[in-house]
Amino acid sequence: MTESYKPSLQPWQSGEARESALRVRLNRFMGLIQRLVSNPTTVMGLAVIVSMIGIAIFAPWIAEPNFPDPYQMPRDWGAVRKPPGTPGHILGTTNVGGDVFYGVIWGSRKSLQLSLMVVGSTVVIGTIIGSLAGLLGGWVDEVLMRIVDVFLSIPELIFALAIAAVLGPSFTNIVFALSVVLWVKYARIMRAQVIQTKQNEYVDAARVIGDSKLNIYLRDILPNSITPVTVQATLDMGNVVLIGATLSFIGLSEAGIAEWGVLVSEGQAGIASGRWWASTFPGLMIFLWALAFNLVGDGLRDALDPRTEGR
Amino acid sequence: MQLRDYILRRVIILPILILGVSIIVFVLTRVGGSPIGIYLSHEMTPDEVAQIEARFNLDQPVWVQYIYWARGIFQGDFGWSGVAAAPVTDVFPNKLAATMELAIASGLVAVFLGISLGTYAGARRNRLPDHATRIVAVSGASLPQFWFGILLLIVFWANLGLAPIGRSDASIWSSISHPTGIYTVDAILAGSISAFWDAIWHLILPALTLGYGATAIIARMMRSSLVEELQQDYVDAARAKGLAERIVLRRHARRNALVPTVTVIGLTFGFLLQGTITVEIIFRWPGLGRWMADSVLRGDQATLMTYVLFTSVLFLLVNLVVDVIYAYLDRRVTLGK
Amino acid sequence: MQPVDQEKAVQARPRPASVASVRNLRVYFQSKRGMVHAVDGVSFDIYDGETLGLVGETGCGKSVTGRSFLKLLPVPPGKIASGSIQFKPHATCRNCDGNGCPSCEGTGRQSAANSRGRSNEKGIRDSVDAEIVELLEIGREEMRRIRGDRIAMIFQDPGKALNPTLPISEQLSEVFLLHRTSELLEAAGLPASTGGALRRFASQEQRFGDSLLMALPPNRAFRNRLVGALNKMVIEALGDTQVPNPAKLMARYPHELSGGMKQRVMIAQALACNPDILIADEPTTALDVTVEARILELIKELQKKRRTSVLYISHDLSLVRRICDRVAVMYAGKVVEIGSTDAIFRDPRHPYTRGLISAVPSAGARRGELAAIRGTVPELVDPAPTCRFAGRCPFEADSCRRFEPELKPVSNGHAVACFIDSAAPSGRQPTFQSAAV
Repeated sequence: MTESYKPSLQPWQSGEARESALRVRLNRFMGLIQRLVSNPTTVMGLAVIVSMIGIAIFAPWIAEPNFPDPYQMPRDWGAVRKPPGTPGHILGTTNVGGDVFYGVIWGSRKSLQLSLMVVGSTVVIGTIIGSLAGLLGGWVDEVLMRIVDVFLSIPELIFALAIAAVLGPSFTNIVFALSVVLWVKYARIMRAQVIQTKQNEYVDAARVIGDSKLNIYLRDILPNSITPVTVQATLDMGNVVLIGATLSFIGLSEAGIAEWGVLVSEGQAGIASGRWWASTFPGLMIFLWALAFNLVGDGLRDALDPRTEGR
Repeated sequence: MQLRDYILRRVIILPILILGVSIIVFVLTRVGGSPIGIYLSHEMTPDEVAQIEARFNLDQPVWVQYIYWARGIFQGDFGWSGVAAAPVTDVFPNKLAATMELAIASGLVAVFLGISLGTYAGARRNRLPDHATRIVAVSGASLPQFWFGILLLIVFWANLGLAPIGRSDASIWSSISHPTGIYTVDAILAGSISAFWDAIWHLILPALTLGYGATAIIARMMRSSLVEELQQDYVDAARAKGLAERIVLRRHARRNALVPTVTVIGLTFGFLLQGTITVEIIFRWPGLGRWMADSVLRGDQATLMTYVLFTSVLFLLVNLVVDVIYAYLDRRVTLGK
Repeated sequence: MQPVDQEKAVQARPRPASVASVRNLRVYFQSKRGMVHAVDGVSFDIYDGETLGLVGETGCGKSVTGRSFLKLLPVPPGKIASGSIQFKPHATCRNCDGNGCPSCEGTGRQSAANSRGRSNEKGIRDSVDAEIVELLEIGREEMRRIRGDRIAMIFQDPGKALNPTLPISEQLSEVFLLHRTSELLEAAGLPASTGGALRRFASQEQRFGDSLLMALPPNRAFRNRLVGALNKMVIEALGDTQVPNPAKLMARYPHELSGGMKQRVMIAQALACNPDILIADEPTTALDVTVEARILELIKELQKKRRTSVLYISHDLSLVRRICDRVAVMYAGKVVEIGSTDAIFRDPRHPYTRGLISAVPSAGARRGELAAIRGTVPELVDPAPTCRFAGRCPFEADSCRRFEPELKPVSNGHAVACFIDSAAPSGRQPTFQSAAV
């Protein structure tokens, strides 16, 4: 036996290993869906998300778009400071005759844009940088992670605020600022995952049959490392809107746009004279949006964590 | 000692991180337009402009500029605040005191409430108090603070007239000096009960607004770590000794569950710091956050950058302290890994 | 092993009386798929001063049975559905008042055989006075007083069963503070009627502000005396488990000790109050073999000194054979065979017991002959009334799949739940000859 040394994994085995890994993944995915759906709060969150996205998509049919720029609040100077229930302005109007209902509906588009753009870009950047650090190790890892540490030393909101401030007040700058600030979380998560996944047997198997490094990464390491990133991304879909709205509230968006944070800020002036509606409804939307993604994110985390099973 | 090595390592890394933060802040100041903009005017000749640039070392390579800038910071030169119309360092301490009073008050409330709520829920897992706490926790993490504050104002200030806005009632405070800048302490020092109540009265709503989210974070962490601890063998072993359930909870499980919660308290500090910005805007609280927001809108870069630098260093220090406490408390963590 | 001594000891005692009798115990767990019958009608006795081994595979319900004595089940999802556990606590020896004399073999206890309830003359040592205690029916407070005092437990992994953030001394002190408050006060020279903060201090019932009270002059001296007395008790308890330098050990934290040391601390903690029953749930599984041997010796020795009965829960047959007087074999929530260790190993009657015994590798067996029982333990969700071993049994016949065998005596003290020895109502009966080849 000692003369004929056999490597622990033969080339023909790795294909099988990979196929079974795929099957296992598929089974796991179905189980995951089942566990997700069995949690009532997650289902509630999902329902809210679906309706929010629905509102965003169908906004032009729900509230007639303002011309020329639908993201600008329409001004009805004939109906200033009207309370909710006013015909034509079901949720009331602002100081300058902006229809609160219009803002609530079209604001969902702004929020969807914001969260998709920020989460999309940060996930991509964070995943690439985290993977590089995890795969290459050594000084590359050291340097990248110290940079991540520096970014994490500045409180998120303050960092984003500073960036958006030097770039000047605009919604686009908020998107940019948040992307610059938030990628580090994903880099950190991804690095830890990649280092862990790298040590798995199927990765060795792929290496033995001489797969290219890129192939190994794309087919074996990435899919097995991405789950915690998806949880964080789900939670961030909500957080981003929360932080973005805060920046808008402080005054870093263009004034007068149909964005929830801006609307809350502009409605604030009226509360002393009893006009509660202009801030309340847009704020409620922010809350619901963040709540829904938090619920689903939590549900996803619980469903993915084997330790919570049966709890 | 392992613990000493760990602390040493963290302390050595600290200046590197601060250096990194300062580089980011420096880059931001250069991105945001010429730092000498406030000294320039259209009537100046190019020669005069060059002269001013030379005075502020703008004719040097960027890294030399950074060194000059950093040296200025070290010597306490944080620049001129356009908003306050004074050097940043003159205004800073007073504003800081106001912000700290608010942050500490809500921090104390959050720690106390969060730990109690988390314990209460964790010990009654999957029963009504647990579900209620879960709602508080999740909603707290999703609640836009600025909106929550406005809702409180709508109810308690605009409609019920119960709560004041701002930081103090001028008529009560006219005769009281401010040795510390922290009004509750000042009132105690002055021996004025009415001023003390006034300070507390003004503090309640903003502290509640700021503290709610932090309470949620702490309660959530406390709950889950308590649930985890309660499943450990040593809890059953303690019961097997004959300990009453409340002592098992208090002396064994809760004590150990507090350990991971400590780290979250560190993170919560950052949360409170950044939360002061919107809360101070809404409640017209004359602190750092509102000053910062004004500066942002009026392009007062010196203030903005001082604020970023200051909060980051504070945040780093607090987390260092928290991590050291954590390492000390949790004798199970493998140090230096 | 000293068979002669043991025989003498058996002869010296009157006929074995039981300190605890379990009758028809059922413990169910609610799961998503239905009721899991983790323990399903278990009955056995623990005799005075003996070691009863409870053997079986993982998940057969042996740990749950052990934990039921102390009601240490996760509730919900666990629930004791029915049954009884009667506990007959020892009484203090009348001749020597608990100090140890020849008539009680130096244990200070009367054997359960002639127990007429615990004498309460001293009014201190007895926290449980009843002659017979129904463990499953008593209230929480009564159970709390029995735990750690009359019935103690040691756990599988000593590393996990000690609180990692408390020093050893504090963990051990708790037992004394809970069950030996009066002795503590006595040892500190305080009257038994001491109340207030001092008593609360001596019974771990501190209230807010007590620590301040205790730090002030009149109480301070007493507190120091109490602490001194407490430390003496702790050192003594640790010393009994033969740890080197117990005084030094006290200030240590669990993670600073080896596994064997930790288990010694656990044993010291469990035996601190001379319990009548010690439930040992695989106490050596997490330890290596040499440490295991020493721990077992220690348990054996302390048990003899204190007339403590041990319920030894284990999956390790060879170990059980070495240390137990009697053995109960559990399978899928039921006791399938019970008898003296000798009888069980000489003439195992249940096919499962036979399988287990032949699965133990012995020096005599030839290589490659390691026998395993085929199949796996059945799921215990709402089980059908058949023999639980059917399906894995090499001897099974159709009666095994139609009726449920009950525990029936085959010889003195040896009972088996199998149709091989007591025929089923109808159908083809299993025999040891019917094995499928």
